Amino acid sequence: MTRPQTPLALAGLAALLALTACGGGSLGSDEPAGSAAADSSPVDIGLLVPTSGVYAPLGEDMANGFRLYLTQKAGKLGGRTVNLQTVDEGESPDTGVPGAQRLIQQEVDAVVGIVNSATALGVRDAFEEAQVPLIVANAGADAITGERRSDYVWRTSFSNGGVASALGPHAAETCTSAFLMASDYAAGKEAVAGFERSFTGAGGKVAGKVLSPFGTTTNYQPFLAQATSSGADCVYSFFAGAEAVAFTRQYRELGLKPTLLASGFQTEGGVLTAAGQAAVGIETSLHYSDQLDNPRNREFVTAYRAAYNEPPTVYAVQAYDAAQVLDKALAGAADGPAVVKGLQQVGTVDSPRGSFTFDEGHGPKQAYYLRTVEQKDGALVNAVRSELTGS
Amino acid sequence: MLITVIDGVALGVLLFTIALGLSLVFGVMDVLNLAHGVLFLGGTYVAVAVLGDGGGSIATLVLAALVALVAGALAGAGLSLVTRPISARGHLDQALLTLGIAFVGADLLSQAFGNEVRSVSPPAALASSVGIAGGSYPVYRLLVIVVGLLLAVAAWYVVERTRVGALVQATVADAPMVRALGVNTTRLVTGVFAAGAALAAFGGVLGAPIISASPGVDTRVLILGLVVVVIGGLGSVSGALVGALLIGQAETLGVSLLPTYASFLTFGTMALVLLLRPAGLLASGRTA
Repeated sequence: MTRPQTPLALAGLAALLALTACGGGSLGSDEPAGSAAADSSPVDIGLLVPTSGVYAPLGEDMANGFRLYLTQKAGKLGGRTVNLQTVDEGESPDTGVPGAQRLIQQEVDAVVGIVNSATALGVRDAFEEAQVPLIVANAGADAITGERRSDYVWRTSFSNGGVASALGPHAAETCTSAFLMASDYAAGKEAVAGFERSFTGAGGKVAGKVLSPFGTTTNYQPFLAQATSSGADCVYSFFAGAEAVAFTRQYRELGLKPTLLASGFQTEGGVLTAAGQAAVGIETSLHYSDQLDNPRNREFVTAYRAAYNEPPTVYAVQAYDAAQVLDKALAGAADGPAVVKGLQQVGTVDSPRGSFTFDEGHGPKQAYYLRTVEQKDGALVNAVRSELTGS
Repeated sequence: MLITVIDGVALGVLLFTIALGLSLVFGVMDVLNLAHGVLFLGGTYVAVAVLGDGGGSIATLVLAALVALVAGALAGAGLSLVTRPISARGHLDQALLTLGIAFVGADLLSQAFGNEVRSVSPPAALASSVGIAGGSYPVYRLLVIVVGLLLAVAAWYVVERTRVGALVQATVADAPMVRALGVNTTRLVTGVFAAGAALAAFGGVLGAPIISASPGVDTRVLILGLVVVVIGGLGSVSGALVGALLIGQAETLGVSLLPTYASFLTFGTMALVLLLRPAGLLASGRTA
């Protein structure tokens, strides 16, 4: 190999690795759960959650939430014994879409899960064609539900814009101007747009916004420097996973003064533990906190802690509720269209987050809460301050 | 602005710890080691295990660094052992083998430490910030700059000014001749491999309080390390340093000036350097 070619080959390799870095993950093995007791009409449910890659912690919480409900109902949904098949969604549609197709080919009766919005959008038509109901238990892209809804796609989680816009009016009460920061991908853009819409609608002024490259940014200093120089008195941010941890810690280390606001995922579960003291005082909006004080949630938190020895996250609740919804819809439903009919008649879901109903777009019509990160009994929690109005 | 430039230097010296090992092993020994990113990730997990998130003392940071240096050196020696049989079979085979080792290593780390993000606090004594040019800047990052630059000087001295460094360069130029002079070149190659790996693991400890430990860090730093090596030129200490500092600035100052193009700056810089100086900015004339 001559010398000038070697760096070129290396450069090509670096670029190739950069392209494939967000791939990875593979199909997991089948994992039948629930007792295989003899039942006249057992039902096959596919659980499509990430068990590898950066979203694996979310996938674990979702599987835990779903299984908890199943255990509480003695392994049955709608009175029918459940054969649960877990398939790894991985990080991206590269792995998620084939996973969904595999479940459809195995003729499951319904599928629950999906963390990645691109995957959820990518499999929509496949589920519609195969007439298999899909309950999205996380993916937040605005377009999954709403105007472009499918009869076969329902969502027990949230929309990115909904969570973010719930925070806008509250922010406008305490700040005159805000600087907006997010990861440069669909979810980040939707969140920033949602916040901007309701914040400016309530009289707030946007001092500036910046999107950081998704999945490759580890140093937020140059972005935070812009927030400082903008003179805003609040910063709204949308980051998840490792990026949320890095962002939160660096925000404190660099000593930024503005009040930090965020969508609740930035302080949820393991991300909050990893961010540690740096997260104290962040104000977030979300449709759940394990600190919610209602009887249904207290009972849920106790059961979840007993089963998994950790507090539940919003991801666990979303999957738990997906199981609840299926419990209602599956009873006596012989095929996909019948399950959809059942889903349309689900009515009020008695969720730990507070009861919700499905709106016309098949998304949850739910309350959002203003949460503040506080120290409580030696651990960090998302204390619920109030219910947010006008989202 | 000044703070952003300083921060670019901090990022640059971290990249240097990764790039130097890659550059020496590839440029000098002609072995492509894609497991290098995992060594850095291993270093960050050493920091998680030893230092934890409780704000340890400076002594525990030093302890973590020593553990990482020893573990990294052992891993590097191991890697040199397994790549030896295929050293004559070209870069693709080496890339496949070391990439496979990297996947296995990353999976083992995620088995041991979980998939959650694990963050590390800097030692309590260094956790404060100092005022610079009207803004505040973490003391720990200043320490990273000092340690990194000292490391660069030490590495340059060893390679360019000592007998061992001369032997390394001689081995590259004509290995049979060096062997004929009675030098154990196998041991020398293993030594360079071990030193490069130890440096990457050390960089992991140093960078853990800034970057945090989580799956995926390994590929991210490996890519940046490769870019730095391409820019700086192979097998040269000063090239690795210049390339690392340049990419450090592209990732901070460049991003701050041109946020819209943040995703393209790093690779744009690399493309530009390749156009103007295809062999890298400071390619050593000695590489094979």
